[in-house]
Amino acid sequence: MSEAADPSSLDLDPVIEAYKKDVDRTLIRENLKLTVDERVRKMISVLGFIEEVRKSGRSKT
Amino acid sequence: MTNFPRLLEVLVSSGVEFIIIGGVAATAHGSAHVTVDLDIVYRRTPENMARLAAALAPHQPYLRGAPPGLPFRFDIDTIKRGLNFTLVTDLGDLDVLGNTTGGGTYDALVTRSESRQLFGLEVRFVDLETLIYLKRAAGRPKDLERIAELEAIVEERRKS
Repeated sequence: MSEAADPSSLDLDPVIEAYKKDVDRTLIRENLKLTVDERVRKMISVLGFIEEVRKSGRSKT
Repeated sequence: MTNFPRLLEVLVSSGVEFIIIGGVAATAHGSAHVTVDLDIVYRRTPENMARLAAALAPHQPYLRGAPPGLPFRFDIDTIKRGLNFTLVTDLGDLDVLGNTTGGGTYDALVTRSESRQLFGLEVRFVDLETLIYLKRAAGRPKDLERIAELEAIVEERRKS
């Protein structure tokens, strides 16, 4: 398939609607205040923190 | 850990035409999830495939998860014969897609992408609505939570 289908044709999916109830919208709202560059840098920073925690966990075993 | 700034710099400085999809695109649109790899859709012209191969050649691209020692070379012939590649490089994990489920090729997606500044580079991200569509089309259970978040972002944007 070489053509993209029309994204506006999406219907409500009851399964996704169920998941949506658990979305932390406060995190989204904070991210939407940032620029694209700031959002990605923030994600990388969090990822770095997770890596450090994992390394720390491995070094104790 | 994937070096996102350096990977993007390598691609952009080599003139590779690509669109960022997947987790990094979700982050760019406001997702709070983290992602460990970079997913791109590349344009399948001979010139662009040559640029892609040349850009990654110094970074030891190899098939992610494949046993070591396989005779794999990520060169233009390999790219022409293949389509989608999940690679590990010395800069981290990179998924290089010639076609996406539901979204098609670079040429089909480029009109549904937007150019933004990232790490001082001009890069293209698939737009939010199309990203949701791609994740829905992929049909993976693991994406349900992500799709819900992306749709919530659409709703939050409409409110503001």
